Amino acid sequence: MVSKKKIKVLTKRVSVFYGDKQAIKDVNLEIYENQVTSLIGPSGCGKSTFLRCINRMNDTIDICRITGKVLIDNDDIYKATLDPVLLRARVGMVFQKPNPFPKSIFDNVAYGPQIHGLTNSKEELEDLVVNSLQKAGLFNEVKDRMNESGTSLSGGQQQRLCIARAIAVSPEIILMDEPCSALDPIATAVIEELIDELMQNYTIVIVTHSMQQAARVSQQTAYFHMGNLIEFGETSKIFQNPKNKQTQDYITGRIG
Amino acid sequence: MNKNTRIIAESLKKRNRSESTFRLMGLLGIISAISFLVIILTSIINEGKKAFVSTQIKLDIFFDSKILDPSNSGKITEIENANYQTLIKASLLNFFPDVKTRNDQRDLLSMISSSEQENLMRTLTNDISLMNTKKEFWLKSSSKYDVINKNPEMIDFAEEDRLISNQQLFWFNELKKDNRVNFGFNKIFFTAADSTEPEQAGIWGSVMGSFFTLFVTLLLSFPIAVAAGVFLEELAPKNRFTHFIEVNINNLAAVPSIIFGLLGLAIFLNVMHLPRSAPLVGGMVLALMTLPTIIIATRASLKAVPPSIREAAIGMGATKMQTVTHHVLPLSMPGISTGTIIGMSQALGESAPLLMIGMVAFIVDVPESFLDSSTVLPVQIYLWKSTAARGFVELTAAGVLVLLTFLILMNSFAIIIRKKFEKKW
Repeated sequence: MVSKKKIKVLTKRVSVFYGDKQAIKDVNLEIYENQVTSLIGPSGCGKSTFLRCINRMNDTIDICRITGKVLIDNDDIYKATLDPVLLRARVGMVFQKPNPFPKSIFDNVAYGPQIHGLTNSKEELEDLVVNSLQKAGLFNEVKDRMNESGTSLSGGQQQRLCIARAIAVSPEIILMDEPCSALDPIATAVIEELIDELMQNYTIVIVTHSMQQAARVSQQTAYFHMGNLIEFGETSKIFQNPKNKQTQDYITGRIG
Repeated sequence: MNKNTRIIAESLKKRNRSESTFRLMGLLGIISAISFLVIILTSIINEGKKAFVSTQIKLDIFFDSKILDPSNSGKITEIENANYQTLIKASLLNFFPDVKTRNDQRDLLSMISSSEQENLMRTLTNDISLMNTKKEFWLKSSSKYDVINKNPEMIDFAEEDRLISNQQLFWFNELKKDNRVNFGFNKIFFTAADSTEPEQAGIWGSVMGSFFTLFVTLLLSFPIAVAAGVFLEELAPKNRFTHFIEVNINNLAAVPSIIFGLLGLAIFLNVMHLPRSAPLVGGMVLALMTLPTIIIATRASLKAVPPSIREAAIGMGATKMQTVTHHVLPLSMPGISTGTIIGMSQALGESAPLLMIGMVAFIVDVPESFLDSSTVLPVQIYLWKSTAARGFVELTAAGVLVLLTFLILMNSFAIIIRKKFEKKW
């Protein structure tokens, strides 16, 4: 690994509460630019909750409260002057279950640029849509049916459509919440390849249940347990020689 | 066979028996419900279909200029105001030369509906060359003869129980023998408003009244209810106050409709001094009644939109409002419009609240605006039902048929919309 790594996202003592229940406890984590960071851990350990802190998706839940600081490029994203809409344009998200809008494939990808007013002409928008679909490796499969509903695609294609939709607004960071959990192994392999390519231009944070997937796609791995960050480091080190007993138990399949 | 298996096998018989009993009871329920429906529908259709045709009598009318234009002025105004009854009388007397006394002649003339005098006048003024010529006309009979003609069993009634005298029946039969009596399409029923004479009464006045009323209802209740539903479901914080509002809206849907009529009387008429009997006020009252129905339907369909769609939009950086208007609302539109149409058909069949604001009135003109006095379909049916003349019985049934037709149309429209715009995700 290159030693010179730029920190893109930095969290300082982040805690998340759902009502009285604390879901995340004092998590300090560094996410490096143009790398894939995977968050692993047993179900309910808070890794998805943590992921959703980075684009303030937790704001939509009434009873959710967050303390601590999340810095993107050294800028606090929870400060009062920052509009979450602007943040979410910078931090794209891909969800566990593919959730294309029940609109045409074209409209799905064009939605982000349209609401943010990123393009000035129809041609520009079309170029952007084609470009995003190409980056998501979906263009060749859908170029003849851009007007068909996004929901008519297969599960793997839908998920790549969601990735295309996310990258159409050129975010800096892409959050992926178990993007392959609803997909078969072949579709999963395609997405994993895609993640490898996207890494060149984007910082990616991925939550996954599959340790093999974490090992395959990520450079950094964070292991969560019961809302605590147990261990964080280079993926190869975490998997080959974890410092913490709990991490070792989890990756060898003794708990989880 | 071990002990448990034996116990299960024995209890199984009982369980199967209760299942088949339950199934049989359900089937019986369905069958009785359907047979009641069939009985109601056939009796209404049997009676109602009679109103769609009316008895006509063929007479040769001579447009006698001595009667119509005695001064031979040729002025249209004079011809318009002439006495056309005399023409009909002359034609009838021509056929029954023996009728001499004044009373008998009046009885004979009562065979033809008085509305036909105006029709003769129209025909002549449209084509003045008919003057002093003879022309055959199928004239509408008056309601009494129409009823006898449609219900032949009444001929055998005693004279005092029958609508027409023996003498009148004799004349009618004479005309029949001469093939001068038949049935024609009852156009008046579909073009006129109410009348004291059954053969001149029509449903169109109340159809238009219902149309204007429902238009106001839709215009008021749809936007308000959808806005309220969206606010409560998507934007409002979930606290005690909004919960209190929710409970109250659900309760409002169960409030007897006459209460809304009283509210309309107190507020719209007595405080705001809006016109009585007007579709505007009727529509406002029915809008109050329809609001909770549409709000509940709106909230249910908003709830049915999967959260993943909201997350996708929010995740793309859409604002709350953009999420609602771009995605959630369009996706819930089929459900909302179904609820709206069902609310509307409920309003169409509603009469009680309208009685309170004076829409239960005898209106002889077809309403032309939202402020004209008018009545609505169910009230018209009620009015006809409570009128004594025998001819209104079939009109009542026909009115029910028209109302049912509109209800069925609206409900099928709701089903079509739901099927057509249902989206899968």
